[in-house]
Amino acid sequence: MEEQNQGLELLAALSRQMADAVDHISPALVLINSRPRLPGSGIVFSPEVVLTAEHVLEREEDLTVLTYDGRTLQGRLIGRDVTSDLAVLRVPGLNLAPALPASEPARVGQLTLAVGRPSAEGPMASIGIVSAVGGPLRTGRGAVLEKYIRTDATPYPGFSGGPLIDVEGNVLGMLTTGLVPNVALGIPAAAAWHIADLLARQGFVKRGYLGISTQPVRLPPHQRAGRAQEGGLLVVGVQEGSPAAKGGLLLGDLVVSLDGQPVSDPDSLQALLVGDRVGTEAKVEVIRGGELKTLTITIGQRQ
Amino acid sequence: MTTTAAVGLAGQNALLRGSVSAAIVEMLDALRHSVVQVRVGQRGGGTGIIWRPDGAVLTNYHVVAQGGSDLQALFTDGRLLEARLFEADPSLDLALLEVSARDLPAVCVGDSARLRVGELVFALGHPWGERWVATVGVVSGLGTLHLPGHRSSISFIRSDVRLAPGNSGGPLLNARGEVVGINAMVFGGDLGVAIASRVASEWARDATSRRARLGVEV
Repeated sequence: MEEQNQGLELLAALSRQMADAVDHISPALVLINSRPRLPGSGIVFSPEVVLTAEHVLEREEDLTVLTYDGRTLQGRLIGRDVTSDLAVLRVPGLNLAPALPASEPARVGQLTLAVGRPSAEGPMASIGIVSAVGGPLRTGRGAVLEKYIRTDATPYPGFSGGPLIDVEGNVLGMLTTGLVPNVALGIPAAAAWHIADLLARQGFVKRGYLGISTQPVRLPPHQRAGRAQEGGLLVVGVQEGSPAAKGGLLLGDLVVSLDGQPVSDPDSLQALLVGDRVGTEAKVEVIRGGELKTLTITIGQRQ
Repeated sequence: MTTTAAVGLAGQNALLRGSVSAAIVEMLDALRHSVVQVRVGQRGGGTGIIWRPDGAVLTNYHVVAQGGSDLQALFTDGRLLEARLFEADPSLDLALLEVSARDLPAVCVGDSARLRVGELVFALGHPWGERWVATVGVVSGLGTLHLPGHRSSISFIRSDVRLAPGNSGGPLLNARGEVVGINAMVFGGDLGVAIASRVASEWARDATSRRARLGVEV
């Protein structure tokens, strides 16, 4: 009997904790008017900056933000990054405490709430668990998401740009259904906060660029030029005047590594071309005519 | 190191052994006896809630709207009793049925005005005719709407509890096992909608007293 009562108390406590979590995030959760009919959600990133999903911003003018305490404020777009589906707005007078990212990354099985503010009626929530933490994921927008959170929590209309929270009310990730249509994915808080910080400071995210089209191929044992690697990237196109062309990369070359990191598919190459590599020299190893060659390429910036 | 971790985990399991999960099982196991299947013309129509021990069963109006006089209530003990439509309000989508029975296990009605977004809720019902099925979710949102013919606005509850046809008229329960809503789905959409228990209990009380008054006049 005592065990039973204890169980009921724990159940009530869990229920209360989840409602508390929604209360905790609610002041840092805004509604964003940026497209006809359906609003989006946004997360307070700093006292005057809001983080949201890029695809929610169907226009760049006349952006308004509705706060938890009923204020409607004008927002100005500072930066948007199509590839990660993140955007930040500056909202003068917002003056709200920022949402806090969870101290630990999401773990599979963890309880999570998807929270949004799709209407003036108040926050909405749905429950689920962290179903998977995976990556890299090639999205329909030509982007590679290094890490993503998959959840079975229902993404109600207007939830994109809002948070996935843990039972403490801290942010595990930003929810979006824009990267893979109609699939609820969370961009992990660490990555989202990093990109939001870049967008807030400089208005764009630098992405490295080589200027080649490639195709993954299997390397027969006798064509591996002494390396153990079983696959490489066949260069099927080199853009004129691109960093790759200037560095001497040719059609038919087999790219096997960049800066000593083996590359065997376009995603692994993309993952190495992160923003802080722009403008720096990289050693690119290729197999050309059965022999290993090392080229030096200065990584450019994707426009 | 490994040993410590193993001991720690085992200790934790001992503390939590079955507790939350077992509490849910026990709670729903007790509550299912307060839930009936409302059958319309020999077919499973929807779900009903034993509202009072004297045979009052609450359900959705749309469940019984086409039933005429051919209504029955199936209980967990296998009894199939004739039911009579006592009162109905199509705009609220509520109906009170009467069955000839005494000492029925009536539900506890909770205060829907105290519901919070994010709190746990459970549904009991007969989705697609499958009997006494339990589902879980949270309160997704709280709203109000104005209905023609009603003075005050009507509160409703959105939840992500999985519902299907057959769940209509069944209870939405909080973590303490109290009825906080009547699952209706009549307002449509991709999420479950329940009529707040406060609305339902006020209506049921008024409906009963109205009948009593009429009884005196006749």
